[in-house]
Amino acid sequence: MSLTASLVLALEGPPPDHEVVTEFEQVMLVGLVFIIMFGLGAGLTPRDFASALRRPQGLIIGWVTQFGIMPFLAFLLVLALVLPLPAEYAAPVAIGALLMGSVPAGTTSNIFTFFSKGNLALSVMMTTNSTLWALVMTPLALLIYGTRLMPEGADLQIPVANILVTLAILLVPVAVAMWIRSRNANIGAVMELMGGFFGLFFIVFLLVTWVPRNWRLLVITPWQVYLVAVCLGLFGITIAYLIARGIKLHPSNARTVGLETGIQNGPLAIAIILLSFPGHPQLGELLIVPALYSLFIVLVATVVTFYFRRANLAEEQKIDNLL
Amino acid sequence: MTDRPWLRHYPAGVEPSIGEIAYRNLPALLSWSAEQHADQVAFRQVMPNGMNGALRYRDVERLSDDFALYLREVAGLGQGDRVAVQMPNCLSYPVVAFGVLKAGCVLVNTNPLYTPTEMIHQFSDSGAHALVIIDMFADRLDEVLPKTSIETVVTVRISEFLPKVVAGIIRATQKYFNRTLPDINVEHTTLRDALDAGGERRGKGSSVGTYLAAIGPDSLAALQYTGGTTGVSKGAMLSHGNLVANTLQMLAMCGAHIRRGEETVLTVLPLYHVFAFTVNLVGFYHMGAHNILIPSPRPPSNLKRAFENYPLTWITGVNTLFNALLNERWFVEHPPGELRASAAGGMALHQPVAERWREVTGTPIVEGYGLTESSPVLTFNPLGGMNKDGTIGIPVPSTQVRCVDEAGDEVPLGQPGELVASGPQIMQGYWQRPDETEETLRGGWLHTGDIAEMDEDGYFRIVDRKKDMVLVSGFNVYPNEIEETIAALPGVREVGVIGLPDAKTGESVRAYVVADEPAPSAAEVVAHCRKHLAAYKVPRSVAFLDELPKSPIGKILRKDLRNTVSVGAGHQPTDAAGEEKA
Repeated sequence: MSLTASLVLALEGPPPDHEVVTEFEQVMLVGLVFIIMFGLGAGLTPRDFASALRRPQGLIIGWVTQFGIMPFLAFLLVLALVLPLPAEYAAPVAIGALLMGSVPAGTTSNIFTFFSKGNLALSVMMTTNSTLWALVMTPLALLIYGTRLMPEGADLQIPVANILVTLAILLVPVAVAMWIRSRNANIGAVMELMGGFFGLFFIVFLLVTWVPRNWRLLVITPWQVYLVAVCLGLFGITIAYLIARGIKLHPSNARTVGLETGIQNGPLAIAIILLSFPGHPQLGELLIVPALYSLFIVLVATVVTFYFRRANLAEEQKIDNLL
Repeated sequence: MTDRPWLRHYPAGVEPSIGEIAYRNLPALLSWSAEQHADQVAFRQVMPNGMNGALRYRDVERLSDDFALYLREVAGLGQGDRVAVQMPNCLSYPVVAFGVLKAGCVLVNTNPLYTPTEMIHQFSDSGAHALVIIDMFADRLDEVLPKTSIETVVTVRISEFLPKVVAGIIRATQKYFNRTLPDINVEHTTLRDALDAGGERRGKGSSVGTYLAAIGPDSLAALQYTGGTTGVSKGAMLSHGNLVANTLQMLAMCGAHIRRGEETVLTVLPLYHVFAFTVNLVGFYHMGAHNILIPSPRPPSNLKRAFENYPLTWITGVNTLFNALLNERWFVEHPPGELRASAAGGMALHQPVAERWREVTGTPIVEGYGLTESSPVLTFNPLGGMNKDGTIGIPVPSTQVRCVDEAGDEVPLGQPGELVASGPQIMQGYWQRPDETEETLRGGWLHTGDIAEMDEDGYFRIVDRKKDMVLVSGFNVYPNEIEETIAALPGVREVGVIGLPDAKTGESVRAYVVADEPAPSAAEVVAHCRKHLAAYKVPRSVAFLDELPKSPIGKILRKDLRNTVSVGAGHQPTDAAGEEKA
């Protein structure tokens, strides 16, 4: 399908009676995000925060890659690939992509860190740290880059206040889970585990309900948008990893920083859009990058994990297995 | 009392002797405590992610009774029959071990990581009739059982006695995710079924009291296998009297530092090891403590949840554990606030580790000493008394310790000699090995094979194992001294020193170093040794490794370091080990 043909289709949009996200899906998705955030909180203690504050240098690196590189990377990708598309289509897609680059790290990164033999404690700490900072940094990044991206005359506004409130609401389960965990370690551990599982379930849920219903939207989506969704994760991991190696972090910590930076909290971005743009006519375009990103990051992260396991483990293997 | 100069250093309230022992056997001691503390939590198993389950004292008492009834009345075992127990630290361990003792049977503690060959040796040597094994490793039994006299197999789950949902998750993870639950092809009973069957007998009026009538201080309680460092392992015969006495000796020396019913103790060392068995399992149970059992302590981050969730007041461990914890950021930044004291044994506690531990936790750590053959506690530095770092302290009450020469005569004060000991905790002998028993227990004295010196206060310092001594150009070099020196160099995490055959000097010293960032170079290690040691003690070569070979409790195994050298002799081990010639 040629670019123009697909754009015509895109601009036509789905049939008027087609809901991009049904009410059921909306409830499910937001519910899942709450469970994921619960799981995140269940793995935390006040001590973790104290530790992080006491020895901030590791987190600063993560903070810089997370909020310095990712939104900027999203901005560049949008600039290069999305903005050349017609303004009416480009604006909502750009907002979605920018939001995807500006949200904090996801819990899925902890799973991939585990499999690539990274530093799990650092991963959990970075996820938490960036989630808390998101309250300030996500709206800030949207303000900084958003104004520069909006094509002339686009009537789409980024509801920064809404996004802030949404983020604050989504931090409530983190706090509640921390409290529950301190009362009962067993419930805490179960919730933590569930959070990880539901993070993956989220992808399955997207695949089995949202993708088949919106195949038309996916087919007409131009290749540039796919490229943005894939490159955001892949470049994010690569750049952060190279920086971490460049400043001589231990390979296992560098792997962690890479995965942590590149793997964003996709469900959170989707939830923010659903809650901040209720009933928006261009909901499909707003959601397209976060949805595609969430689907492709699993693939990207798996490939990277395999690469990490091979390349780095060989590098770290200095002795015979005997010892 | 001139022959026991240490007595004047006993803290106030510690008597020279433990006197008349009130308990005829171990179960009597255990049941007394269970009655005192019936509703308190006795054991809590804590998984790396914080999932946990607990048994109260009354539960342990009832369940171990049921297991004893099962062994005697269902499995048909008799008094004195050996029962091998092979599992990591978990809630089933006290139930099973106490059950075996209550049945009047003999406990044969077995390392769960043993290979089939090692299992066959230990089971057939002890003549075990029954085996209680963790299901994760039961697939080895096809190969093992036919070569032993084991007739009854009971399997336990790591998730036993944990809350239902948690147990279900652990079980599912083991089965589908880790795939650590093999098919078991031999006939076996689950612990659950065994306990139900025992409970049924109890309901019909059977009681364990009858089994214990004939069990006195001289009855055999456990065969504790040892001697793995050289040759075949042999079973040290520990009687009920040995274990009861040693428990009371250890507690007497601790005095008020272990408060009845108020302690929370961290049990990281495996309970099948004699140190954890006597000190943590029996000793702290006797004192009504809340015992936190850690099934898999490696990596050390597995302990994080236990430290976060429970107010630990006591930690026992080996140097390796304390060192590992001091290398964990979460530990150093939030040392346990309720901690009162820590005890180190099993291997030498390195001075830099001891000092750092005190600095980080603000609480004392004392080093003790003992052997499997002595149930195990012989000496330790008294808490609340004079502590001398680098020494193993002073003998516990009712214990006599001396340093002797080859002829068995006491050496002059301050001179090195073989450490020998006598007391109620000394084993009865090695199971079915009269020659080795005779060689080790001479004239009522246990010959430890350790070279030690006693100072004027009656404190003992271990110089080294007799057999680890390195002979460089006719000089005795003790690896401990060199390890201690190298460990003090910044950037050294762990170190092991061995002797290598050398054409010129007979033997030469080689050091294996596990380094932190920034790592010192081999030349720096050697230069550091030159500054602090006589020339002949300075390592000829230094090799850097990622990890040192260790025993299940974390003792650095010099014999494995030596084996590596001989195994690697064919190719160039030096490159692989990242060695630099000094």
